[in-house]
Amino acid sequence: MNVVAAVKMYVTRMAEDSGPGMKVLLMDKQTTSIVSMVYGQSEILQKEVYLFERIDSGGQHESMKHLKCITFLRPTKENVALLSRELRYPRYGVYYIYFSNIIAKADIKTLAESDEQEVVREVQEFYGDYLAVSPHLFSLNITACAQGLAWNHAHQQRSVQGITAVLLSLKKCPFIRYQNNSEMAKRLAEKIREVLSKEASLFEFRQTEVSPLLLILDRRDDPVTPLLNQWTYQAMVHELLTITNNRVSLSEVPGISKDLKEVVLSAEQDEFYANNLYSNFGEIGQTIKELMEEFQKKAKSHQKVESIADMKTFVETYPQFQKMSGTVSKHVTVVGELSSLVTRHHLLEVSELEQEIACQNEHSQQLQRIRKLIGNSKVRDNDAGRLVMLYALHYEKHTNNDIVGLVDALKQRGVPERFTKLIYSVMEYGGTHARQSDLFGTQDAVVKITKTFFKGLSGVENVYTQHNPLIKETLEELIKGKLKESSFPYLGNGQLARRPQDVIVFMVGGTTYEEALAVHQLNKNNFGVRIVLGGTTIHNSGSFFEEVQQAMQGVTRRHMRTRNS
Amino acid sequence: MAEGGGEILEGFLCPICKVDLGTAVQLHAHFQEHTEDQDVLKSLKDLLGKAKKKILKLDEEIFSTECEEQARASSASHLMSSYNPVNFEPQEIGATRNYTSSFRALRNSRMERYAAETNKLLIRLDKLLVDLPTDPVKRKAYEQAVVPWIDDRDVKLCPTCAKHFHVARRKHHCRLCGAIMCHDCTQFLPLSLAKKMTNPAFGHQESGSTRISIAASFSPGAVSLPTPNLGLLRRSNSSTSLNSVLSLVDTITGEQHFRLCIHCKQLLDTHEKLKESRTLKPIISQFYERLRSYQMEADQLAVMYNNMCQSLNCGESTYNLMNAQVVRVKLLKLAESIDSLSNKIAILGTKDVENPPRGKSLQLQHMIRTAATSYLREQLVALPTLPTEAQLKALQNQRRQEVSARIQQEKQLAALEAHQAEMQRKRDSPQRKDIHRSSSPGQHKSADQVMSDTGWGPEAAQMFDSEDPMIQQMNIIRNYIKQARAAHKYDEVATLEQNLKELKEEYWRQQQVCDEP
Repeated sequence: MNVVAAVKMYVTRMAEDSGPGMKVLLMDKQTTSIVSMVYGQSEILQKEVYLFERIDSGGQHESMKHLKCITFLRPTKENVALLSRELRYPRYGVYYIYFSNIIAKADIKTLAESDEQEVVREVQEFYGDYLAVSPHLFSLNITACAQGLAWNHAHQQRSVQGITAVLLSLKKCPFIRYQNNSEMAKRLAEKIREVLSKEASLFEFRQTEVSPLLLILDRRDDPVTPLLNQWTYQAMVHELLTITNNRVSLSEVPGISKDLKEVVLSAEQDEFYANNLYSNFGEIGQTIKELMEEFQKKAKSHQKVESIADMKTFVETYPQFQKMSGTVSKHVTVVGELSSLVTRHHLLEVSELEQEIACQNEHSQQLQRIRKLIGNSKVRDNDAGRLVMLYALHYEKHTNNDIVGLVDALKQRGVPERFTKLIYSVMEYGGTHARQSDLFGTQDAVVKITKTFFKGLSGVENVYTQHNPLIKETLEELIKGKLKESSFPYLGNGQLARRPQDVIVFMVGGTTYEEALAVHQLNKNNFGVRIVLGGTTIHNSGSFFEEVQQAMQGVTRRHMRTRNS
Repeated sequence: MAEGGGEILEGFLCPICKVDLGTAVQLHAHFQEHTEDQDVLKSLKDLLGKAKKKILKLDEEIFSTECEEQARASSASHLMSSYNPVNFEPQEIGATRNYTSSFRALRNSRMERYAAETNKLLIRLDKLLVDLPTDPVKRKAYEQAVVPWIDDRDVKLCPTCAKHFHVARRKHHCRLCGAIMCHDCTQFLPLSLAKKMTNPAFGHQESGSTRISIAASFSPGAVSLPTPNLGLLRRSNSSTSLNSVLSLVDTITGEQHFRLCIHCKQLLDTHEKLKESRTLKPIISQFYERLRSYQMEADQLAVMYNNMCQSLNCGESTYNLMNAQVVRVKLLKLAESIDSLSNKIAILGTKDVENPPRGKSLQLQHMIRTAATSYLREQLVALPTLPTEAQLKALQNQRRQEVSARIQQEKQLAALEAHQAEMQRKRDSPQRKDIHRSSSPGQHKSADQVMSDTGWGPEAAQMFDSEDPMIQQMNIIRNYIKQARAAHKYDEVATLEQNLKELKEEYWRQQQVCDEP
């Protein structure tokens, strides 16, 4: 159950199946990202793949018959058309064709008829049709999967393909459970089931003792998590700088050196990153300092290169030296930028309040603090708005809530109207009417008491990481075999008799790195349980706003009325 | 134990755990324990396993402190384990579905038509060529005998250009399908090329070792009339009338080519192109193949060298320093040739002023160079250093001391545990055993593996005779090692040394055991 390994093995197999010789990898836009997520350039060069080409580039016709062409494409209509044109006028000697998902027989026929020069050696389906972010985390890079609170058809199709590809690449044929109150989750579950039964022969895997489980959730059940500021490295970088396909753009950082304009943060290739993915900001600072010192120590010791022996040792340790210097400067820059953002925008203060709104019931005190922060000009509009959103989500049903007052305060502050409207959109998207779970622990008094009791026991070590995403609770119940069937019914008749071991969770509407961390911890703490988390995308607050905005387009507000406007 | 290098055990061996019990009485008692309680076997194995495990662990520690390379590797693996959740077990490749055969079937059904036609043409061409008369009249008759010509009266217009035939535009026949066309639409296939098509060996002789494209093989000399358009051999319009008159003369002087219709010519051309592209090998491919073969060689050597170096740095006497140095020099030479060759590839053709490599091919050359340099950097430049003669001596001494100290320690520990196990057995509490077993499933496993791998299990006979079979065995192995070293088979040396080492340790232990009571 390691999605990175799964995709990587596919790519490795592709590179190796074609035998020795110079190779070119022909891909489309999506498969390019898929491959680049798991394979570093130097790594793939060692597999004799020297050129990378996009099938839709429409570049000049440069024939290189001495190259073997590995083609890795999604089975879309456009790709089939482009590929059949390529085969009619082949630029390369031989072709090994791999599709990232199930392809129609008719398309195979089209291609076979285009291959008049008999250049094709292999045609296969390799189900690497998703972006493997971490061993237990995948994304489909779909922003705004919903329109008008229902599936956008193309995105639904892509999600079905993505999830079936995950299942196939991990060799799992699961039972399916879905979030009962979500129409989208249910539809997706049904569509996946359709594929499972239609391609039954493909899903015949060796039976495991306990069948795997696919759990489909809806972001609307937990709109809080993507609204919070994050303090673990990966999540924080994504929230403040945005990670796109393991890459972070630093071009807006003033005075940045040229080769750091875009940095790659890949746990597969970057040891430091792999180690500190889930460390919190304070720990990172400490580690960076140690790394710097170590580096300086090495750099210093190399400065006195006098004898030939010295030079030799220098050269012999050169690869590590260079690797290390690369890592150091990269992470120093990233962490430096993070810390400047934190101080500039008072993020510590903001985050503390965010966490408290999300986790504690102190209405009047929190209201006051929000007002204070709205009045602080150093706080970004975005953060102020998010505080109001969190407040509105938490105290929606509170008799004395002052959502309107806070929105007015935002307007006075000069927050654009688009954003104040978004507050109501978020409430419509993820308000109490849209949720089935007890997100803030308000309804059930007993639950609340035990929760606070446990909290008291463990003690709140860090005010900035009090919040636990809802998914953690859901999955804990699932692992214990206590997840309510009324809330998360099985699709079809089959039922899991025992506690699940292999679980694939998919979040319709996008997941977050905070949730990925929660899943990582669950994997670590529950021996024998393997959970893979996926989502239509991986959100930070910015992309979540976009998601909500798209989802609410054309939807008349029924549950939230803006009294003043 | 026959497979263990001809090792034969003697003495009062227990048939289950192959332990020598020394006397018949002891063996009897021991065997009864087996039948009474299988767990004893397990606990015994456990015991050995623990000891082995500890040794391995110690080994690891030594490696990590002494060999930098090793340290880095182990830290890397540790690192990945902190990033990968523990319970992501090894994984096999995901599901795949292969359409290749159905694709081929679909393609073949379509390609068959072309293939059959092309083959027909090639067969006819072959027939025509077999004993083509040089006399034009006879030749014409022969050609008509092989391929029946279409009746002149059936065709009024040239099928290709749709023009009327008349005195100046005479009818011609395709020599391969018998169809009629005008002279302008005629394609010519030189005899030499035709011979090459039907007999690849001939073509090779003609063009020599350097491959020439088809266009180039249309040497003007082969065609009786010089033509401006070499590829198509279509004659210019201005000379049409002259040509048609000359064509008679042409036939008389002995035509060195076949007339073909466009259709047949195209089929033959495609066929030829395909053949060409299959055998075509530009210079970069040749360089590249050499580069890869160097890399492969270097890979093999590097593995061997790393083993040697590690072993030497740990003070083992498996390899000798000289050999390791020879391998090192070889590796460095290989690295040099990889470097220079990849550089050659990178600048290949850039001096060519007229047609320098551009775009993709230039990029390809650069990428190959990049790959080669990064290969060198990762694989060869970072080779661990060998100890000097003096260092080696020191290391070996140190190692010897360590080993003996460790063995001493292990022995004590083992004795202690054996004692405890004995006590336990006497107490005979099944519950205790259960705990014992469940607490160490991993150890069981590793113990089993170790046993099958290295033959740790058997406790060989304790002999008071100086002709101890173990000593003999050791001597034999020493001999083998000498031979293998002479033959430069370092892999074998390594395994043999391993055997010897274990035998020694075992022997030493035996001696201690029999000294004690």
